[in-house]
Amino acid sequence: MKIKDGFILRQVADTYIVVAVGQAVKNFNGIINLNETGAFLWRQLEKGGDEQTLVDALLGEYEVQEEMARKDVQTFITKLTEAGLIK
Amino acid sequence: MQRYKIADIVFDVQLMYGYTAKLCENYIYDGDEQPCFTAVMTQQDIEAEKKGGEQFPDYYLESLALYRKLCDYALINANAIVFHSSAIMVDNEAYLFTAQSGTGKSTHARLWREMLGDKAIMVNDDKPIIRYVDGDFYVYGTPWNGKHHLDTNTRAKIKAICKIYQDKQNSIKRLTNKEMLHTILNQTLIPTEVEKVDKLFELIDKMLRSVDLYTLGCTISREAAELSYSVMSKGEKNSEN
Repeated sequence: MKIKDGFILRQVADTYIVVAVGQAVKNFNGIINLNETGAFLWRQLEKGGDEQTLVDALLGEYEVQEEMARKDVQTFITKLTEAGLIK
Repeated sequence: MQRYKIADIVFDVQLMYGYTAKLCENYIYDGDEQPCFTAVMTQQDIEAEKKGGEQFPDYYLESLALYRKLCDYALINANAIVFHSSAIMVDNEAYLFTAQSGTGKSTHARLWREMLGDKAIMVNDDKPIIRYVDGDFYVYGTPWNGKHHLDTNTRAKIKAICKIYQDKQNSIKRLTNKEMLHTILNQTLIPTEVEKVDKLFELIDKMLRSVDLYTLGCTISREAAELSYSVMSKGEKNSEN
């Protein structure tokens, strides 16, 4: 899995937001909010990876139980898939 | 070709329809400054404005296309943000009311004018331009002035931005930068190029930190205007009446 081209993560007013640029604007008109964990996972997925890669990355970065990390990752992937941001 | 100066930006434009020429006539410029850019309007520009669902005549869409071209130039070159709002100036300070269309920002600005008389000057009732100049944010009048055609070819330093919603009582409170962010994002044009997005976000971030931010729940009444004016002009925190 990887973030599709044309979507960028930025921080404004202490808020993480994702917007579309270039050709991607044609299919996505809006703004997605991410929390800090979401922003961290987003940066991982810009490089690409699967559920396990993301869970491992979370476990390496935050002090969190694997079960919780997996739940966060699954919620994140579902949210991004529904919004059509993952290829 | 006609030369205009809008938001302190001088430019030349060749229009296809008389509507935009009439709209912009208070902004015709015959001074010595050289134009920053030249825009030749084409049918293609008009077609590009037809993406929204609503049907508008071509002459009107030409005016929007020109607005877009100006703002596109001005974002990068003049630290300018488009912000859909009703901007009113009192004692040389500007107050911007923003809301979803039809919520009453123009109505609230009118209540201020009725209360304050000549002290209150409408900078623009719909699509003003905001610029970051020498460390401060200013709002500029533009010809794109909304359905009541209210604008003044002037500028004023922004004191406060206020998000309005209709309510049964009047109350006003401060918002944090974070709470106001999405209102700003919803009422501006988000560009489609990365460097422009970054520029816009940088300006929005600065603006949120440098002006007072409020949300006003209000009725359509003089009391509502009295409350918002007294609190915002003094820079107070929260209040109800």
